[in-house]
Amino acid sequence: NVSDGPADRMKCSRCLLQLVRTSRTVVQRGSLLLSPSSGQLIFRCSPVSAKSQPEPVRFVNDGGTKKTKSLVTQEDLFEQVSKESKTKATFNQVIDVFTKTDIRRRGHVEFIYAALKKMPEFGVERDLTIYNKLLDVFPKEVFVPRNFIQRMFNHYPRQQECGVQVLEQMESYGIMPNIETKVLLVQIFGEKSHPIRKYQRIMYWFPKFKHVNPFPVPQPLPEDPVDLAILSLNRIANDLDAKTTVYQLPFTDITESGEEIGFPHIVGIQSPNQMELLAKHNPNRPVFVEGPFPLWLKKTCVYYYILRADPTPPEEKEEEVYDPERCFYYPLQLDLDLDRDLGDEENFDVDDLDEGPVFAMCMTSQGDQATLNQWISGLQQNNPILGRIPTLFRLDAGTRELEGAADTEAGHSHRPHPQSQREDGLPAEDSEAAVEEEEPRRSHGMKQ
Amino acid sequence: MNVNSFLALSRAFPREKNRLVCHAWHLGKQALRVQQRRTIRTHSRSLAYAKDLFLGQINKAEVFPYPEIGSDELEEVKQFVAPVEKFFNEEVDSAKIDREAKIPAETLNGLKELGLFGIMIPEEYGGLGLSNTMYARLNEIIALDGSIAVTLAAHQAIGLKGILIAGNEAQKKKYLPKLASGEHIAAFCLTEPGSGSDAASIQTLATLSEDGKHYRINGSKFWISNGGFADIMTVFARTVVEVDGVKKDKITAFIVEKAFGGITSGKPEDKLGIRGSYTCEVSFDDVPVPVENVIGEVGGGFKVAMNILNSGRFSMGSSCAGMIKKLMELTSEYAVSRKQFNRNLSEFGMIQEKFALMAINAFVMESMAYLTAGMMDRPGVPDCSLEAAMVKVFSSEGGWICCSEALQVLGGLGYTKNYPFERYVRDCRILPIFEGTNEILRMYVALTGMQYAGNVLTGKIKEMKKGNIFMAMNMAGKKLRTSLGASVDLGLTGKDGVVHPSLEESAKKLEQNVSLFGMTVESLLYRYGKSIVDEQLVLKRVADVLINMYAMTAVLSRASRSISIGLRNHDHEVLLANTFCNDAFFKNNYSMVQLQKHSPENNDASIKKIAQAVLENRSYICSHPLERTF
Repeated sequence: NVSDGPADRMKCSRCLLQLVRTSRTVVQRGSLLLSPSSGQLIFRCSPVSAKSQPEPVRFVNDGGTKKTKSLVTQEDLFEQVSKESKTKATFNQVIDVFTKTDIRRRGHVEFIYAALKKMPEFGVERDLTIYNKLLDVFPKEVFVPRNFIQRMFNHYPRQQECGVQVLEQMESYGIMPNIETKVLLVQIFGEKSHPIRKYQRIMYWFPKFKHVNPFPVPQPLPEDPVDLAILSLNRIANDLDAKTTVYQLPFTDITESGEEIGFPHIVGIQSPNQMELLAKHNPNRPVFVEGPFPLWLKKTCVYYYILRADPTPPEEKEEEVYDPERCFYYPLQLDLDLDRDLGDEENFDVDDLDEGPVFAMCMTSQGDQATLNQWISGLQQNNPILGRIPTLFRLDAGTRELEGAADTEAGHSHRPHPQSQREDGLPAEDSEAAVEEEEPRRSHGMKQ
Repeated sequence: MNVNSFLALSRAFPREKNRLVCHAWHLGKQALRVQQRRTIRTHSRSLAYAKDLFLGQINKAEVFPYPEIGSDELEEVKQFVAPVEKFFNEEVDSAKIDREAKIPAETLNGLKELGLFGIMIPEEYGGLGLSNTMYARLNEIIALDGSIAVTLAAHQAIGLKGILIAGNEAQKKKYLPKLASGEHIAAFCLTEPGSGSDAASIQTLATLSEDGKHYRINGSKFWISNGGFADIMTVFARTVVEVDGVKKDKITAFIVEKAFGGITSGKPEDKLGIRGSYTCEVSFDDVPVPVENVIGEVGGGFKVAMNILNSGRFSMGSSCAGMIKKLMELTSEYAVSRKQFNRNLSEFGMIQEKFALMAINAFVMESMAYLTAGMMDRPGVPDCSLEAAMVKVFSSEGGWICCSEALQVLGGLGYTKNYPFERYVRDCRILPIFEGTNEILRMYVALTGMQYAGNVLTGKIKEMKKGNIFMAMNMAGKKLRTSLGASVDLGLTGKDGVVHPSLEESAKKLEQNVSLFGMTVESLLYRYGKSIVDEQLVLKRVADVLINMYAMTAVLSRASRSISIGLRNHDHEVLLANTFCNDAFFKNNYSMVQLQKHSPENNDASIKKIAQAVLENRSYICSHPLERTF
């Protein structure tokens, strides 16, 4: 039996009570599928009592009857439901259906594996309650070792492995288990089982790594492309002084001929330092608008453009001359013929490669020259010097354009933006969407 | 008796020299002879004392014996001081000035009548023509009201100083008499919204008119004390000057009368302390200034500004001392009358400690201030800016601590407006900020000394870096000797000594500090070279050590004199001096240990890291202690 302290047991039982309550509501929601006596089903405290109980539920759906007949996959269950819709509610329903079909939960390991596989499809791969519910499918106390021999050897290895697998999937999606998970695992596998060890390891490492990323990507990302652009630009610039400006909000206009023309959003960012640099730029040297460059925010890819210049050639560089009449109070430099001692030189000798300044950045859903020109003229309001500097557009079509539908305009500097093309090569239906969401299939097993 | 006599002798000796120098200065005939004398001396007269400390030397002739004034001068000072003291005790209502943020006209008139607006203006221009020493003495009393002290300082320590030290005869004749009488009040307009100590960012522009007779000044100046009612202002503006055929922007100082027109002053700033002083923004809109009103040369404003700023600081020592002495009277009254647990507050050790602290601080400040003033009063134009800056740093910080400790003695009572303590604390807070913040002055002190030491030591250090074994051995031997506890003798005690035997131990401590400091400076120069300008934390310690050593010198010199001539309570002075020296000795040693390479006491790297993290995020970045991750 569970050998916790009294306090722990109290906590456990409280959690269990909670579980009872939550599953009750779930049950009620899914009442179409269930018999009215479903309230009894929740936990069985021991196999003995389970035996003495009458069969509590009767499965109404024909899918269930099919399943009982065949040995074939549990995935069928999901497949059937998924014909209608793939949501959290239906996923819950499936689990409920499974738990209520068979008091012995025959085939629960297969069911759990199947469920794990299907989770991303139903969009519940980051839902802790679902994972807990899934663990709840395991029969309780059956797999808890009762004597030292059982404890010594791998007791019910398949089940334990399955439990570990559930935790592993949680881990890979960055879902931290909670106390409910622990209670369930203890009930199912006992105190020192493999799943509990896994749980302990997760609980050891997860909190440590939770804030290890100094630049966390918000979860979920903002839906609005303008908000997303502001977020990404701030992320690249990483400068608290930098100011984002929305030069144009997306809108659609109807021409006289009744055609709808979509105007893209244009969001730019510039810091005071960049403005200063730009103001000092030699107007005889051109500045370049370059892009698009990709920025990945977890599974989302956005593109940005930069306004930059070539590094100033050494002959044009002005050395700052030391003016002894600069500071009223103390000498800013010493007139000594002594350099820093080598032993106190703490800087690494790094090859400094002058890359040339970046003056501003922007994001837009439509990377043609006209749109970017709009950005430049917007910038010109605060950077009057831009009116005097030649601006060259060096826009890349992006590597993936070749895969895209053959483009008539290829070769021109303003080509349609790769953003507007699906990665799988289909032409874009919606050029407004600056956001390209990868196929969820591909993100399987991706560690977050 | 022996000691006294040779103390007296040594006192007489440098005086003799000075008198000679003085004669030469005025007569010019003996110039050649003096020149010879000067070349014989190892250091020129303008060096003063502090720079030599950087070389591990004590130039004792500069600071021993403690400077004195003649008996007749003393009588004169007393004559001045008595009415001023009476005026401040009876006529000045500081609480009212603070409350209403205004100095009443009758108070200002009283100050004018006393001649306090022209303390240092020569008598020929209608001023009192007092020396630096006497100015310091008067400041002790003036400082009893912060607002008045700042108003007067803005008027004469900086406002009219430009005319006084760099103005020509015509300018002096025209302006000084009215300024001395207080009919006109002066202000000093240097700071701008975008320019504190950076001359390059001064935006106020002076352009020469086509006929070449006027400059037109445009721009605005910030935080101008007396800005609201000043009639004469020293204004610094950019002018275009041709240097070697190249046009350059240079700062020029102008005397601007309010009567020239085009000057508007803003609302007075609402300040924490010194609320009675009128600080505001002053704008200049096409103000015509005749060319005759340029102070010094066109384009020479930088030097003028620097000289003004450097010369005005020494008096803060006596001001703070005066204030602390007053506070001690007020608080000790309370401490001996208030009873807790049937004992007077004065019986508690922690209260006693506060009084000792105040006494020591007042004593040290006084000693430093009058030593510096005395050095400045010597004939010639001794450059005492380093010493003055040290006095300012020490006394402004000491003043702040003492005020807050005095308030602490009274506890909650001190926190109320019923007592003057909270006002003193507020007023005092400006001291570390104005006339050059203490941070900037520390940089000045340390870097000036480093430059001086660097000039002397560069050759030696280069030799060592080249691997001159003899030099290195010499160095190592010296270090070894000191670490083995060889006593350092820089001549303060013993034969030819200048310090009284009852202060011998303290003098030895100073000598030890000085000699270690010399070595520290050398090793710092060896390690950092000219890049030491970027090592602010190192420079801060260097400045702190230097300030402490100068303070030790001042108290030793003063106490020695007091014993020798038998001043009242000189035993108490010895006690104060020894206590301070002991304390400062340990602090200095600690600072200098921190300055050693790889010293575990040195936390600089971590300090920089912490600050960087905070500044990068512009906030405190730790998670809240109640936060959790699961």
